[in-house]
Amino acid sequence: MPGETLGLVGESGCGKSVTALSILGLVQRPGRIVGGKILFKGEDLVRMPVDELRDIRGRDIAMIFQDPLSSLNPVLKVGFQIDEAMQAHDKIPKDQIERRGVDLLKEVRVPDAARRANDYPHQFSGGMRQRAMIAMGLSNRPEILIADEPTTALDVTVQAQILELLRDLNEATGTSIMLITHNLGVVAGLCKRVIVMYAGEIVEQGPVEQIFESPQHPYTWSLLRSIPRIDADRRERLRSIEGLPPDLIQLPPGCKFSPRCPYRIERCFRDDPQLKEVAPSQEAACWVTMKRAYAEMGAATITDTRPGAASGVRPPKGVAAKVVDARTIDAAEGPVR
Amino acid sequence: MATAITNPTEFEYAGGTVAREQVSLWRDGLRRLRRNRLALTAGIYLILLVVVGLISLVWTPYNPNRIGTCETYALPGGGHPLGCDDLGRDSLSRLMVGTQVSLAVGVATSVIVLLVGVVVGLVAGYFRGPVDAAFSLLINIFYGVPPLLVAVALYVLLGAGLVNIIIAISATVWMDMARLTRGQALSIREREFIEAARAGGARAGKIVFGHILPNALGPIIVQATFVIPVAILTAAFLSFLGFGVPPPRADWGGMANEGLPSLQGGFDPYILLWPALALSITLLAFNFFGDGLRDAFDPRQKR
Amino acid sequence: MRGTLIYIGQRLVLIVFTVLVVSFGVFFIVHLLPGNAFVSDRVHGQALQILLHEYGLDQPIPVQYWNWLTGIVLHGSLGVSLYIRGLPITPLVLRELSVSAMLGGAALIITIGLGVTFGVLAAVRQNSWVDYLLTTIAVIGYSVPSFVIASLGILIFGQWLNNLTNGVIYYPEPWTGTYGTLAELSVPAIALGFYTSGQITRITRAAMLDVIQQDYIRTARAKGLVDRVVVLRHALRNALVPVTSILGPTVISIIVGSVVIENIFGIPGLGKEFVESIFQHDYNVTVGVFTIYAVLIGVANLGVDLIYTVIDPRIRY
Repeated sequence: MPGETLGLVGESGCGKSVTALSILGLVQRPGRIVGGKILFKGEDLVRMPVDELRDIRGRDIAMIFQDPLSSLNPVLKVGFQIDEAMQAHDKIPKDQIERRGVDLLKEVRVPDAARRANDYPHQFSGGMRQRAMIAMGLSNRPEILIADEPTTALDVTVQAQILELLRDLNEATGTSIMLITHNLGVVAGLCKRVIVMYAGEIVEQGPVEQIFESPQHPYTWSLLRSIPRIDADRRERLRSIEGLPPDLIQLPPGCKFSPRCPYRIERCFRDDPQLKEVAPSQEAACWVTMKRAYAEMGAATITDTRPGAASGVRPPKGVAAKVVDARTIDAAEGPVR
Repeated sequence: MATAITNPTEFEYAGGTVAREQVSLWRDGLRRLRRNRLALTAGIYLILLVVVGLISLVWTPYNPNRIGTCETYALPGGGHPLGCDDLGRDSLSRLMVGTQVSLAVGVATSVIVLLVGVVVGLVAGYFRGPVDAAFSLLINIFYGVPPLLVAVALYVLLGAGLVNIIIAISATVWMDMARLTRGQALSIREREFIEAARAGGARAGKIVFGHILPNALGPIIVQATFVIPVAILTAAFLSFLGFGVPPPRADWGGMANEGLPSLQGGFDPYILLWPALALSITLLAFNFFGDGLRDAFDPRQKR
Repeated sequence: MRGTLIYIGQRLVLIVFTVLVVSFGVFFIVHLLPGNAFVSDRVHGQALQILLHEYGLDQPIPVQYWNWLTGIVLHGSLGVSLYIRGLPITPLVLRELSVSAMLGGAALIITIGLGVTFGVLAAVRQNSWVDYLLTTIAVIGYSVPSFVIASLGILIFGQWLNNLTNGVIYYPEPWTGTYGTLAELSVPAIALGFYTSGQITRITRAAMLDVIQQDYIRTARAKGLVDRVVVLRHALRNALVPVTSILGPTVISIIVGSVVIENIFGIPGLGKEFVESIFQHDYNVTVGVFTIYAVLIGVANLGVDLIYTVIDPRIRY
């Protein structure tokens, strides 16, 4: 939908960045897309020839990344790197492109834009670099801007500025924004719709207010409970989710969240739940859902959030009870390329 | 990686922990080396080369230095599979004897460079200060002159002879080893287990040779294997220019030099061909073997 | 900019210092060599003493060095030849330098062109047959001695293809004197450049493989740039930084190699002069050639440092 703002949320290592990279076919070897469809204006990007996909990159769908320093080429001028994005798709005279490049820098509120265009990335501050990245992303007025953790590497005050900039640009230009983050606060500030991912799959999606108000997947619920709140009772402990996301190469059978879920039932270890409507325009993939957890397992007052604590269901024999092993830590901590 | 010292027991055994890592490092390295077929082939060739060199000490088909063993410029065939040179000496016999010079120069230079370079590098890297400053200046000057020309000058100064060739070449190639060792020492001396050993009262000599050296040994040994082909190549250059072992003793560079006129004259390319081939294959083998060693024992260092 | 000028100044001081040390060292060594330039003239006793005195060779070495040094500083003179008695050296070695520079320059272009091209191709086609072929050529490059490549060139172009090349590439013993045509330089220059190209191929390949993993390459692809632009403009520019670091050693390798190559092809350059001067005990020429090489290497290293600042804007002195 044009002008939409969508948040893609999940812990580190649950497949958000890979999903985003897959959209533009940028997954690094040896990674590859084994199946599924990515539809853009009715065309499947996965099966699209490389040449056509290249035309879409940067023109229809643009992307900005987590670390603006390493994402900008250190040996090329910032202005040039922005101009280049336009030249790749448009045959416009050089001076005109350069003027547009400076205008873009002004648009993302880089002060003294004409002079800064001739600077190199190392002469920019972190926030300025991300602004330059955003200018580059918006240079061809794309339909969609994918922002992969755009504020994670920045100072808190700069984070707010960048988010505000993204929101203003979304309203002013009508470019849809897909925001990938592990930070629910960021989603709340910018997005209208949210998708929650776990272990490479969508577990819940819907309007932001609705999801924040009544999350139906226990994973979403756990994520929301782990946000520090200023108005919380001081004695109430901050809840973290026990364990780590599974190794995406060795996924457990059944629901992928079952090894860590406090509300799991026997079926969760057997069958993989599919997304189904749990409320108007809200979908969740869960056999239990929080409605039942509140009604039957006392989720409103629960303090023990260890796996299976609320439902009392242990994993069946043969299913590894161990959530954390060395491999999962590697997979979770390693940078997602 | 030596981990941070967290309790007194580990502190006591800091040295022991390092030693055990070395053992597994060597075992892993050997396993990796065995899987590298190119390096393995090169290694087998080099062993054969050593065998040929040893055999040539006691036996060659003909006397390699006797003039008129057969017709001059005799082409390969008959009793002389590789033919004869411009003085009617048997090329195969001379090629076999030439192995000795190349191997002797290569191995001896490598050993000398290993000893000198490692000691200088360790001292400069560990003690830093004026020692290091003087070393850096010396290195700077050495890197400012073409090494082959220095070797020529030294060779002429010292006089002809195998030992002098080795000295002259060693003097021009030791710096790389010293620089490498210095770099290793500089980084290892900052690690926790060195701190622990120093706090435990170990003397400088014990720290340098007992702790730093064993941990720097991987790259050092890899570098030492690369010194061998460099030394052989330099020796070949020297004797090709006329600064080799004194005649009539055969060495590959000198043989190539003797063969050049017959090649240019267009009547017998073989005199040059054999030593050229022997040199090229031997240098290739050393480089492939060295690459294999580096991949196996020093995986961090990528080039 | 000001910092760069100061840096250049410092480096020039270091070059002067190095050249002084090197020239004195070589001066010292060559004067220790047994024999002298007049042996072949069969002069002995009184006559020899007179000759030695005439050329100042009877004075202590430091005094001789001082005289030599003041000669350079005051008159730009590297002294006179002892072998061809009284011949001023400066014009001689400058002419030879121009010959060597042409050969070495051609070799440098070949070595960088070949090395970078091969390195990029090998990295882009990593683990394919192209990669294996090019990396094997690289190892052959720095394993096979340059005189072997040179001999091969003589055999192929001078002997087998003599009718085709019309003898332009084939060098009979004495140099014909018509250096300067590309055809005549091509075989010696290739033989000279092939050795160092192997090292450059390796470094370029490794650097490219490293750079291709970087985030900014992903950004470049996300912009929709074609692969050629991504590789050449974004990856190669960055990969050239480590390649630049071995340009200094490459220049030294080419100088060393030129000594051998010039002697094979009979090219009247500095390298050939150096070997002859050693055999002829022509001290002043030996020292002169050495000094020129030291200056050359110093300037080349300074040049490399300045190239860094052009390639990588983050480097400032």
